[in-house]
Amino acid sequence: MITVENLIKSYNSLRVLDGVCHAQERGEAVVIIGPSGCGKSTFLRCLNQLETPDSGRITINGTTVAAGSGAGNEEEQLRRGLRLSAGMVFQSFNLFPHLTALENVTQAPIVVKGESRSQAETRALQLLAKVGLESKAAAYPAQLSGGQQQRVAIARALAMQPLVMLFDEPTSALDPELRDEVLQVMRQLAEEGMTMIVVTHEMQFARDMADRVLFFEGGRILEAGTPDQIFLNPQQERTKEFLRKVAVR
Amino acid sequence: MSFRQWPVALFVAAFSIAAYGADHLQEIRQRGVLLWGADAEGGAPYVYPDPEKPDRLIGFECELAEALAGKLGVKARMVQNQWDQLIPALERGDFDVILNGLEITPQNRQRVAMSRPYYVYAQQIVTRKESHGMTSMDELKGKSVGVLSGSAASRLDGLRVCDLRTYPGNVQSFQDLKAHRIEAVVLDLPIALYYAKPDTELKFSGAAFAPGYYGIGIRKEDTTLLAALNQAIQELAEDRTLERIYIKCGLWDERQASLKEYKAEQIAESKRISTLREWPKYLPMLLRAAAITVGLSIIAMALAIVAGLVIVLLRLYSVAPLRWLARAYVEVVRGTPLLIQLFLLYYGLPQIGIKLNAFLAGILGLGLNYAASEAENYRAGIQSIPSGQSEAALALGMTRWQTTRHIILPQAVRVVIPPVTNDFIAMFKDSSIVSVISMVELTKMYGILALSTYDFLGLGLMTAAIYFGLSYPASIFAHWLEKRLRYVK
Ligand SMILES: Nc1ncnc2c1ncn2[C@@H]1O[C@H](COP(=O)(O)OP(=O)(O)OP(=O)(O)O)[C@@H](O)[C@H]1O
Ligand SMILES: [Mg+2]
Repeated sequence: MITVENLIKSYNSLRVLDGVCHAQERGEAVVIIGPSGCGKSTFLRCLNQLETPDSGRITINGTTVAAGSGAGNEEEQLRRGLRLSAGMVFQSFNLFPHLTALENVTQAPIVVKGESRSQAETRALQLLAKVGLESKAAAYPAQLSGGQQQRVAIARALAMQPLVMLFDEPTSALDPELRDEVLQVMRQLAEEGMTMIVVTHEMQFARDMADRVLFFEGGRILEAGTPDQIFLNPQQERTKEFLRKVAVR
Repeated sequence: MSFRQWPVALFVAAFSIAAYGADHLQEIRQRGVLLWGADAEGGAPYVYPDPEKPDRLIGFECELAEALAGKLGVKARMVQNQWDQLIPALERGDFDVILNGLEITPQNRQRVAMSRPYYVYAQQIVTRKESHGMTSMDELKGKSVGVLSGSAASRLDGLRVCDLRTYPGNVQSFQDLKAHRIEAVVLDLPIALYYAKPDTELKFSGAAFAPGYYGIGIRKEDTTLLAALNQAIQELAEDRTLERIYIKCGLWDERQASLKEYKAEQIAESKRISTLREWPKYLPMLLRAAAITVGLSIIAMALAIVAGLVIVLLRLYSVAPLRWLARAYVEVVRGTPLLIQLFLLYYGLPQIGIKLNAFLAGILGLGLNYAASEAENYRAGIQSIPSGQSEAALALGMTRWQTTRHIILPQAVRVVIPPVTNDFIAMFKDSSIVSVISMVELTKMYGILALSTYDFLGLGLMTAAIYFGLSYPASIFAHWLEKRLRYVK
């Protein structure tokens, strides 16, 4: 359902993505690991067009955007189409502080899809219940803990009914004791068959949940395989080194 | 001709101390020069640069100064000084005397010694050639009448029932008269003779009235200088030197004959009015003027808030040429003085056929000027919103505009409320600048009343109380709004 062909992205002279190729089935949960600065975030941000790649093609569910295809109206529509089929969860939550938890979830369906308020609220409440926060519907982000905020952010992304969910280190900004409640929600999503790409440093989570693990290094996918292949029997020297480091840590 | 006479200057001067002890007549004789203070800027026909040779000063007071100096056996030299600062400068010792249309009034006498008069001025009504009536103060009732700011005319009781407009200079009032923005101008006769008499579109309406005297201002302790100058003026009157000068300058009339018989007691002594005790008479006038201040500020601020938003949206989110235009607008408006902008709108635009009335010009001037500041406030507010906010909105599928409209602006509004409120309160006070385009708002009304009653303190307290009464609720409201809009209540 997702196909990425030869994605290249540079900032000035720095090549951050150096020809990434990736294919993913519907319902597959992919975890990306790799050292800091290797291009993981940039890869996710290219997938939902927060960044424009220099070259390469991205296809999600039949919608293809080729890099350098211009800034015309038609291309803009394609990009938004891609964006609409991918939901994104950020490391820093990025909840809208002026809106309640409920309004955070209903805002996009109302504004983007033109849903009625009552319709959007009904579904938002279901989603908040799903992430265990229906009692916090009226709370503002400042009144929520980090873990709660991230769970609202997940509900917010789900409200747009995306085909794939992109998570960029969703637990890195959280205190260790708050991480589980977020990981729990993500586990549940994976079990329900959501297509997911998760960038994370949670190795346990990767081992438990991933259908496939990608090891990023220097803007490329250096090694890919099942969790057992990557964690128990890595082929590349850099992968082994990386895993040693995170294990020590 | 006390234009440009600002209450503030008088206030400051009232408290400054005359530091000079010695008698200066001796010193002047030794020096061989009489230094006389005057303002040549817009000073016709008193003292002004010769249009043909601008480095030379002419005017009847120039000739008078030479004649007087001759009587003292010395030469005369003019010292340029801003008109409203002449008395403080005299007290500071910058020159020996003031010879520049200083009226012999009780108020001036409290500060300086006044010589016997050298000229009898009067008030003259000037109208357009085709106008009818308006030959006396009574007939001016309810009409829009222009006067020079701080002039003797602006202190006439009768003008308080007119739609009074005040001007910073002579040219502007006649320009507005010809442009049908006002119906009449009341001013000192010598100025009228110089500016209006030769103008074929204008006429003198009715006889001159409300006579008064110009005298020489001297430091109070210079008693022998005062005596010598009084003697000199008397002699110049008797040997008809004054008559010759005034005829030559076209300023002679039968009133001047009375100069010879002048008695000091003719000027009534200072009668102080307590405007606080008589507040029912003065407060309503101040409040009416305050209504103009409020109306002007609120409408201008509303314009600034909306126009500022348009400007900032163009600047941040539109295509190239519009973006540059918005940016240029902000830079140009912020880089030029509000005063010049108002002059352009009010006095400049009529030259290309756009005639705004004073209120509209005031609103546009203040509003468009503040729009640039508001745009900058908004820009700072918008840019203070973390980029994660717009990324999250875009990732949810919102368009740029939806992101701005639903996510960025609502947050930016909260950030910009304090600076915008500050601007609003500043505008209350800044709005007094529209007096330069003839509007009489609160500060101007204070100036007019204070100069006619000499009660700077009482009127000042009332005026300050009104300003405070207006701006304090505004800041309370802003605090309340800020609190109400806080994310967590
Ligand atoms: N907007 C930008 N401008 C310039 N350089 C950038 C920009 N964004 C990212 N980079 C650089 O690109 C490289 C890859 O960044 P990216 O955020 O994709 O790394 P990452 O793998 O997500 O790292 P981390 O684990 O620290 O989040 C880094 O060296 C980073 O400094
Ligand atoms: Mg990253």
